Amino acid sequence: MENEKEVVVRFDHVTKEYRLYKSEKARFRGLFNKNVPHKINKAVNDLSFEIRRGDAVSLIGRNGAGKSTILKMITGVTFPTSGDVEVNGTISALLELRAGFDANFTGRENIYLKCELMGLTQDEIKALEPEIIEFADVGEYIDQPLKTYSSGMKARLGFAICVNVNPDILIIDEALSVGDKRFRKKCTQKVHEIMSREDVTLLFVTHSLDAAQDFCKRGIVLEKGVKLFDGDIEEAIEFYNARE
Amino acid sequence: MDSIKLIIEEHKLLGDQLFKLAKSELIKTYRASAFGWAWALVKPTVRIFVFWFAFTVGLRAGKPVEGYPYILWLVAGFLPWFYMQDMLNGGAGCIRKHNHLVTKMKFPVSTIPTFVSISHLYVHWVLLGITIVLFMAFGFMPDIYYLQIIFYMILMFVFFTIWGLLAGLLAAISQDFQNLVRSFTQAIFWMSGVMYNVDIIHNPTIRLLLKFNPITVISGGYRKAFIYKQWFWEDPVELGCFCVTLIVFTLLALWAFKHLRKEVPDVL
Repeated sequence: MENEKEVVVRFDHVTKEYRLYKSEKARFRGLFNKNVPHKINKAVNDLSFEIRRGDAVSLIGRNGAGKSTILKMITGVTFPTSGDVEVNGTISALLELRAGFDANFTGRENIYLKCELMGLTQDEIKALEPEIIEFADVGEYIDQPLKTYSSGMKARLGFAICVNVNPDILIIDEALSVGDKRFRKKCTQKVHEIMSREDVTLLFVTHSLDAAQDFCKRGIVLEKGVKLFDGDIEEAIEFYNARE
Repeated sequence: MDSIKLIIEEHKLLGDQLFKLAKSELIKTYRASAFGWAWALVKPTVRIFVFWFAFTVGLRAGKPVEGYPYILWLVAGFLPWFYMQDMLNGGAGCIRKHNHLVTKMKFPVSTIPTFVSISHLYVHWVLLGITIVLFMAFGFMPDIYYLQIIFYMILMFVFFTIWGLLAGLLAAISQDFQNLVRSFTQAIFWMSGVMYNVDIIHNPTIRLLLKFNPITVISGGYRKAFIYKQWFWEDPVELGCFCVTLIVFTLLALWAFKHLRKEVPDVL
């Protein structure tokens, strides 16, 4: 049944190389001259996979496996060196919760700022505003400048915005590890609630295998940018643990 | 060609958001201080006063021009310079300053210099209004020549927005470029016709070379409207020189966008 659904993310022989130079000077010269000596680090190496609408996929791997680079390419922040990345649908990424905020604006203004940057119209934001504020649970601080917030409050506000904008594809990168226990529980519930809508696709990156198992049905195990395993989440975790 | 198409598409994508971002850019700049907006006026006022003092009182050189007091002559040329100065530096720093838009989310990068430029233009409008009032206070009423301020303002906006794209990308790739621009701002100021009238330079080669500098043309253009009462088509050579520079910088900016756009998120 899964195979009938449309593909929302497709990686076709994607490779992402980072060029490492000895110094800033060498990097500068490297822009104009390809022969400047440098090392090449393949963060993602000839990777192909497809994710269909409604999938919940967990990317599993150690630090440096290329997980974050993959998410960055899906969100369109960075571009592959070779190969094709195809994405269909709106994305809400919980990459860095505090990103896109301005410390001099109030919480409420930041909601508008961030949602505008995500391409929402004024009316849409107005409709979402109470829900976001309710979820962020920062109390009267909502009309205070963000620089007065604690780091937990900022993260909560960021999370509240990302989960409430009704995305087609939700990307979560370690984001569930913010805040206290109560807020984590609330986040987990919210993600489950979003996932219960059939058409939402989830991409999940974490070091907590329990959480991965909780949310996802499918797991992709990566090491040094290469896909080692792609399949059922329980088998993926077993495979990953066996390699440790 | 593809770059032009992409840049236009990115701007279309953002649409009205451009103006909102320009506005929040302004609020961001001025809200952090208690006196906020006043600083937008204090800085230019102090600059003009210092130059007026040095030249009129100190060097005793500031003679009235075409029947206009020297201070008005200064103000007319300085008015666009404040925008240009902000864009020289701010343009070079724009992508680096907004790196969260580049590295943390999908955002049409080519629009960053545009909304930064628009935000500086808002300040420029306020200063323009004050300048016109100042001229009226001295008894010089607006006339038909004021219309060409619009023409020169558009030239200025277009050129410096393109400059912002080129310089912003280069500075994002290399901090050195930003330092270069910063170090040369003062030099550029004195090598442009903001403090003197380029047309009275004796050496014809230098006179012509200076006209390839857009700052000279625009600063001179504002003076043509406020003081000299000449139309822009009366000096086609000057306009031609400006166009040559504009085309060169446009090509450079397109080259930079094509080759550096995808590098920028990896190095910031």
